[in-house]
Amino acid sequence: MGSYISLPILMLAAALQASIVPQFGFLGGRPDLVFLCVVAWAFNAPLRQALVWAFVGGILQDLLSAAPTGVSVIGLVLIAFALDLFRQQVYRVGLITIIVTMLAGSLVQQVLVMGLLLVSGFDIPIITSLGYVVFPTVVYNLAAILPVYVVLRWLQKRVAGRDAFFT
Amino acid sequence: MRTWRSNRTVLLVVCLVIGLGLFMTSRAGLLAPVENIVAIPLNFISGIFNRIGIGLSEGADWADMETLRQRNADLEEALAKFQSELVDLREIASDYQRLADLLEYTTAAQNQRVVAADVVNVDLNAQLRTIVINKGTRDGITVGMPVVTQQGLVGRVMDVSANAARVLLVTDPTSAISGRLQTTRAEGSVIGQLTGNLRMTYIALEAEVQEGDLVVTSGLGGNLPPNMVIGQVTSKRQFEFELFQEAEVRSLIDFDTLEIVLVVTNFQPIDISVFEDTP
Repeated sequence: MGSYISLPILMLAAALQASIVPQFGFLGGRPDLVFLCVVAWAFNAPLRQALVWAFVGGILQDLLSAAPTGVSVIGLVLIAFALDLFRQQVYRVGLITIIVTMLAGSLVQQVLVMGLLLVSGFDIPIITSLGYVVFPTVVYNLAAILPVYVVLRWLQKRVAGRDAFFT
Repeated sequence: MRTWRSNRTVLLVVCLVIGLGLFMTSRAGLLAPVENIVAIPLNFISGIFNRIGIGLSEGADWADMETLRQRNADLEEALAKFQSELVDLREIASDYQRLADLLEYTTAAQNQRVVAADVVNVDLNAQLRTIVINKGTRDGITVGMPVVTQQGLVGRVMDVSANAARVLLVTDPTSAISGRLQTTRAEGSVIGQLTGNLRMTYIALEAEVQEGDLVVTSGLGGNLPPNMVIGQVTSKRQFEFELFQEAEVRSLIDFDTLEIVLVVTNFQPIDISVFEDTP
């Protein structure tokens, strides 16, 4: 169930991000809703479910972009694995964990996407992009992760029930 | 423990291979038919949200009454100035019309055929500046066609499906357009910036560049028709050690609130790449 629900949630997030979210952007950055949903779900989901979310989210994100499909998938998959490893080391997901993960994850995702776009032939000015797009997006993601996490955590509990954790 | 780790390593490798495979096949254009079909419901949903979003941002503008009053005063002042200019320009236009009629010459602008399209979504990747419109090959749209609004050039069609098209905005860093200063006719290349502004480069050192000059398309290269408004010069830069000067250009279009655009359907880009290969 946790895997199936990814499609409507991530479709909604992608549609919102392609329409309403750019109106509230700061500099060139804006909250990456699909990324936030994938990470927020992956915090408390089994690895395979997190991977489904990463693939669905990444593909939807690339379908609504001029970027080739797969550009966003690779970063999200890596983050899903990193979160799974990280979760084995910590007792429970707390505020600090969420903030640190979001900071590192956003940076990795943004830089990876930028690198793959450069490989694909998009002429992106790296320094300008870091200051004008990557940094504001990371700040936005940090600000938006808590509400997204709270909503998805509530949904996750309703969908999977307590026994589903770490299965 | 070792089995768990090795299983995860295999899974990681498999996932990365699938991800890279998707990336490579999409880059090669092999996934285009599938991508076009899957994007249809996404474009439909985001089109609905886009209309709601524009409504919201217009509502937010109403809240800022003080800014609106100031803007209104500025516009009234500008209107008075432009009205006097308009009288002079009408005189010139009537002279021009008489001469053009004599020569049976009609401008490209008068012959333009356009298709109106709604903007359904903005690029999800913040590092790219593209939009999707709800008209495609069924409406006669092909790759390379110019997209405009009343305020000037929006961009060019870069990708098209049966009922949608992706437009590369002039503000995208990969966009380069041959431009010309309307007053001095000095030519240059107008390149998009991530900041949303434009930069006109390769302007001859001896050319006079003034703030407020309009920049229009020159038509050189055959990619766009001439005399489409690109933007207005906001500042210029000239260094002693450089062979050219540069100008910062601001488009008159607010790309964040684009709702309806016009695609010029009777302009076909001219392919001159065949001459570039000739030694």
